[in-house]
Amino acid sequence: MTHRLVRTRTTAGSPLPRATRLGLALALSLSCVAIAGCQAAEHDNEITVTGSTTIMPIAEIAAEHFMDVKPDTKVLVSGLGSSAGIETVANGSSDVGTSSRDLKPSEQDLRLYDTPIAIDAIAVIVNRDNPVDALTMDQVRAIFEGRIENWSEVGGEDRHIGLVNRDEASGTREAFSKIVMQEARFDRSAAVLPGTGQVRSVVAEAPGAIGYISLGFVNDEVKALSIDGIEATPESVVDGSYPVQRILHFFTRGEPEGLAARYIAYVLSDEIQQTVVRDAGFLPMRGGVVR
Amino acid sequence: MTRSAEDSQASMPDSADPVSMTSGEQGSLRLVSRATHIKELALKNLFLLCAFVAVMGVVLIFAFVGLRGWPIFAEVGPIAFLGGADWSPTVGQYGIWPLIYGSLVVMSGALVIGTPLAVGTAIFLSEIATPRVRGIVRPAVELLAGIPSVIYGFFGLLILRPIVARLSDGLGFGAVTGWLILAIMIVPTIATLSEDALRSIPDGIREASYAMGATTWQTIYRVLVPAAKIGIIDAIILGMGRAIGETMAVLMVVGNAPHIPDSVTEPIATLTTQIVMDMPYAAGMHRTALFGMAIILFGVSMGLVALVRLLSKLQSSMDAGR
Repeated sequence: MTHRLVRTRTTAGSPLPRATRLGLALALSLSCVAIAGCQAAEHDNEITVTGSTTIMPIAEIAAEHFMDVKPDTKVLVSGLGSSAGIETVANGSSDVGTSSRDLKPSEQDLRLYDTPIAIDAIAVIVNRDNPVDALTMDQVRAIFEGRIENWSEVGGEDRHIGLVNRDEASGTREAFSKIVMQEARFDRSAAVLPGTGQVRSVVAEAPGAIGYISLGFVNDEVKALSIDGIEATPESVVDGSYPVQRILHFFTRGEPEGLAARYIAYVLSDEIQQTVVRDAGFLPMRGGVVR
Repeated sequence: MTRSAEDSQASMPDSADPVSMTSGEQGSLRLVSRATHIKELALKNLFLLCAFVAVMGVVLIFAFVGLRGWPIFAEVGPIAFLGGADWSPTVGQYGIWPLIYGSLVVMSGALVIGTPLAVGTAIFLSEIATPRVRGIVRPAVELLAGIPSVIYGFFGLLILRPIVARLSDGLGFGAVTGWLILAIMIVPTIATLSEDALRSIPDGIREASYAMGATTWQTIYRVLVPAAKIGIIDAIILGMGRAIGETMAVLMVVGNAPHIPDSVTEPIATLTTQIVMDMPYAAGMHRTALFGMAIILFGVSMGLVALVRLLSKLQSSMDAGR
């Protein structure tokens, strides 16, 4: 009998407006939480640094040291690719956007302030078992365009060349495309991998593979080729003879101020430039070469 | 017991003489029924809200994806978008045919490898395995469904890909590696649903078959599989949905080259993997094109669900006619 009783009362109580009211209250309370969250992120002693995966190691280690020195501050570093870094700093969701490429024409009017922080060289890497040690810039371009498909065409073994490319969000790809490819199109059949580490490990395993990564990430697993007869070493990058190199940037909305300015100044200090930047395989912006 | 006592008491005010009851009793009775009433109402509204949120989720996503993606069909045109062979969004080429092709190739290969494996597992579980063996195999298959896809991807990238690379003398990224990973991933979907279909066949049918002198094998492929046909096809279609929608594991092993490859060991890209690769930096028409690809995926999965529903209807009308 109770059941019948309840059912009668429920229909009389018109549940729909009640549900609507509940939903409204829920939405309101959620939006309150969201607004509160926004305010927290705007806090004075917290900045976010987003962008190039190439710059990640520098930005992150510098952030750790920075927070050790100033324990009441928080520097959050993430790597999403240079384009994402520029996009997030432009739309205000991060305070510093890191980029391993220059601004594109379409990004020029975002009114971003550029602080160059280091020089990076891109190494063309192959498997250690590959007998080829040197290529010319034209050969590298022809390989990545897909015009040269076998290692025997450039003095190696009779083996198919396995192209390893980076994704289009990558600043390394952007720089490689500009410096080496001279905007020629990459071969479409190249594997597209989303990270420097993946490119390196794939090239380290596959005998016919060729890829490109920042000189700072070259290790014993892979072999960096000489380009146009110049070995890829810090010395050849510093003296400007190694041809595949670029400048790394920190972008801010307007001139950096507050915590962002202090963080950037710290990254540019000798303490970071001469240790962290060098250890990551990059070259210091000051005391390196002036161009 | 208490409950029924309350029930009968609660009904009393209607039928019994109110004068014979004390006012205190009456008050407590009203309280109980009101509490129950509120609880019931709250629960009803809670469940209504749950269903509402789920439906709103689908509607909002559909509307959002549709609105954001629609301009690509208007601006680029459906033929250039769907049939174009060149996916170079940075230079304004938005042909997704290589991606559709990639999705189809990766999905069908996975089905070809995975279906026999899964249906075989289902037959084994429902017809052949002893309860003890079933007690081991079934949880293992179910566990397979619970493994996060990124772990499949990791396994594929680090274990399967180098093997494929060695055998093909390439990089190991390509459709083949995707097939192997996806085949394992769709086994639980197809196997559990096929097993349900086989188990729902009344034992009388099995007994009749054996009584006619049929062997186990004859019973399986002449009687049981045909009887569970629609259920198994349903399972395969849902497996198809899983295969075409899978993203992370595929992303890690196919190599993500948006072109039509010459061989199955060359890098390839699918609709889902290209969306993930491009989403972080896509802007403008490029982003619209990604939403356009999402519309295609949405359409495919709606089509598959519709197909399953149609088949279920067919099944029930067949059951009714039986």
